[in-house]
Amino acid sequence: MDLSLSSGIPLQAFLVLAAVLFCTGVWGLINSRNAVRVLMSIELMLNAVNINLMAFSSYLDGQLIRGQVFAIFVITVAAAEAAVGLAILLSLYRNRDTVDMERFNLLRW
Amino acid sequence: MTIASTTQLICFAVLAFTVVAGALGVVLLPNVVYAAFLLGGVFLSVAGLYLMLNASFVAAAQVLVYVGAVNVLILFAIMLVNKREDLSAIPGLALRRVLSGLVCGGLFALLIRVAFTTPWGSGPEPVGDEATIRIGEHLFSDYLLPFELASVLLLMAMIGAIVLARRDVFSQDIATGESVDQGLIEKARTPLLLDRSGR
Amino acid sequence: MSLPGALLTAANPAVDAIGSGTGVSSLALQLNAGAIAPEAAVLLALVACLLVDLAGEKAASHWVPPLSYAGLGGSLVLLALQWSPADLQPSFLGSFLADNLAIAFRAVVAASTLITLMLSWRYVERSGTPVGEYAAILLAATLGAMFLCGSTDLVSIFVSLETLSVASYLLSGYMKRDARSSEAALKYLLVGSAAAAVFLYGASLLYGLTGGSTSLEAVGAALETSASPIAALALVFVLATVAFKIAAVPFHQWTPDVYEGSPTPVVAFLSVGSKAAGFALALRILVGCFGSFDEQWKLLFTVLAVLSMVLGNVVALAQTSMKRMLAYSSIGQAGFVMIGLVCGTEDGYAAMVLYMAAYLFMNLGAFACIILFSLRTGSDRISDYAGLYQKDPLITLGLSLCLLSLGGIPPMLGFFGKIYLFFAGWADGQYLLVVVGLLTSVVSIYYYISVIKMMVVKEPQEASDVVKAYPAISWSLPGLPSLRAALVGCVIVTAVGGILSSPLFTWASQSVSGTPILQATLG
Repeated sequence: MDLSLSSGIPLQAFLVLAAVLFCTGVWGLINSRNAVRVLMSIELMLNAVNINLMAFSSYLDGQLIRGQVFAIFVITVAAAEAAVGLAILLSLYRNRDTVDMERFNLLRW
Repeated sequence: MTIASTTQLICFAVLAFTVVAGALGVVLLPNVVYAAFLLGGVFLSVAGLYLMLNASFVAAAQVLVYVGAVNVLILFAIMLVNKREDLSAIPGLALRRVLSGLVCGGLFALLIRVAFTTPWGSGPEPVGDEATIRIGEHLFSDYLLPFELASVLLLMAMIGAIVLARRDVFSQDIATGESVDQGLIEKARTPLLLDRSGR
Repeated sequence: MSLPGALLTAANPAVDAIGSGTGVSSLALQLNAGAIAPEAAVLLALVACLLVDLAGEKAASHWVPPLSYAGLGGSLVLLALQWSPADLQPSFLGSFLADNLAIAFRAVVAASTLITLMLSWRYVERSGTPVGEYAAILLAATLGAMFLCGSTDLVSIFVSLETLSVASYLLSGYMKRDARSSEAALKYLLVGSAAAAVFLYGASLLYGLTGGSTSLEAVGAALETSASPIAALALVFVLATVAFKIAAVPFHQWTPDVYEGSPTPVVAFLSVGSKAAGFALALRILVGCFGSFDEQWKLLFTVLAVLSMVLGNVVALAQTSMKRMLAYSSIGQAGFVMIGLVCGTEDGYAAMVLYMAAYLFMNLGAFACIILFSLRTGSDRISDYAGLYQKDPLITLGLSLCLLSLGGIPPMLGFFGKIYLFFAGWADGQYLLVVVGLLTSVVSIYYYISVIKMMVVKEPQEASDVVKAYPAISWSLPGLPSLRAALVGCVIVTAVGGILSSPLFTWASQSVSGTPILQATLG
């Protein structure tokens, strides 16, 4: 039964969804003023990548599913990155008493 | 069109809608707490998409790690840094948002073009429920090296996060007994943190 | 060697299981875990440092330095033993390849960590931060960088890249009471994670393009037959990440702020070790995978190299902080190294390896002097170095020699490295790059010399207040002897290495001739 599950939807549907999510993440990364929200935008981008990987894994690599393994590594690393990011944010907040990106003068290019 | 395919089409449409709406909410909502909760919604819907792609193990990992750990961590961070600040207005902010929106739109068009012009081919039938076994086999054969390295990464991230988030630092130099101050070294440097928002 | 053996036996059943699904070809591959013995030595040192640290800060400051020296020294010895293997086999079923290129860059990374640690002890203790954790995180960064140099699989590349990056973020923010350090760490983290996400998106497209394989070999094969926009997009995404790692203009914005805010020894590591890993990644991905698109990526890299050389060296002129000046100069130096990458000839690659090795000694020597000066005076403003010759001849001599070498003045080591790069570029017809390189070298000599002039020429009464109040020179504190050893060692290699550089040339050309992916493109 599960073999037929994904056959009705084309692969491109997943890729488009991932592209939307990725571009939303990029926009949030550029425009967010709260440092926590920038971290959230990065998580959105990583989720977009994971959707891509999982879709390819299911449609093109159904037997060896390397994409699923790749996605697990991405999830692992994203968790570590989030923990480190929030630790750095906390230590910065103690020093500066703000999370406003504009006052860190960041991402101006 | 059979009932099964109609059902999954509806499932996909609903999940895709929640993902996109949630993501837009994450980047657009003024209140960052709502944004964090919507982020949890995005993570859950993505897990639903994984279930549609026959990947129950990754879906479970997504729920446990992203919703259970990352999202909760983000909520904690918001609580710890929750000073209400009035963000000073920046001239040309709207223009910047529109411009970056255009850039992201261009990027999106590019990604869509790639998605539709590439001949992706087709693969073998998905393994379905055996996926978990396959993942285990991969982790202990051809992905053994990244698997072991990921353990170093996690150990180091844990230690580093504790060191950075811990409040105490040593008050004296253990070799000389002098009192220490991290600003002391290179104290004459131009401060990186001059408030340049006024300029 | 019992650990790799155990891994081998443990993994064999799984290999069989996978092999039964994919055919017999997987069975022929061996785990070949001996290839990562140098990394195992670093890992052992990391764990030992953490365990010793449990016994308290006193014990840690006593035991962590020898343990980490042992690990890194052992790693360098093991790397030397691996040199030019008789039969080169991929290890970990195609995740890792210990060819000569990987060994050369891993040696540069391990040596840079070793010297960085020798420079660090006094600085870390002086700032009241825990020593054991500092060494452990730096060793973890080394581990990531070393694996990155040899990874031949997208997943391994990603995980090792992130190990290096996350450890670097933590090290940047290690002075947690200093707001500049925390801000540098946050900037580095946000930009670095975004770069990682972009790289991943490119990697996911490549995974789809191969139809389900993550090895670089398969990616290269798939790219040869595809001319669709996907290859261009994946190239841009991957290139952005590589350029971020080696801090090429216009992906350099993080560099000056991060270099200025981070603790100085960490900057020393980031400017050498992390950059060497970035160049190894560039060679492996661009030369190994995008071989069929080499016109495109060479054009992009030419632009990046010209921009880096011009902007890095010109903006460095205007700096007043020593660290910031070295940050911009390191952007310019990365531009010089890219000349070798763009050439794509045997000499070009060998010149890259040679220049990275030379850069290791001259840059770390310069950093040793800066660290020592800031420990003694608490300043890193260039104007505060005025008249230093009277008070501290060692720093003056060491810094002068290293800066002259960075500028490319004969007969220093840097001169031979640079002339080899320019020679390779000229022979390949990259006239624009060579001319820009020569012109910007002259600019760089100007600002390096002005620092030296500041130190040497000024009369005693013109010396800066900092130098007038210079403390008596003493080497008795723990951590200072190792700093002195590193400083003297680097300066000697920089000064004498140029004259005795023929083993280095042999080493660099062997590292190219013993690397199949490079040989394949040379034809």
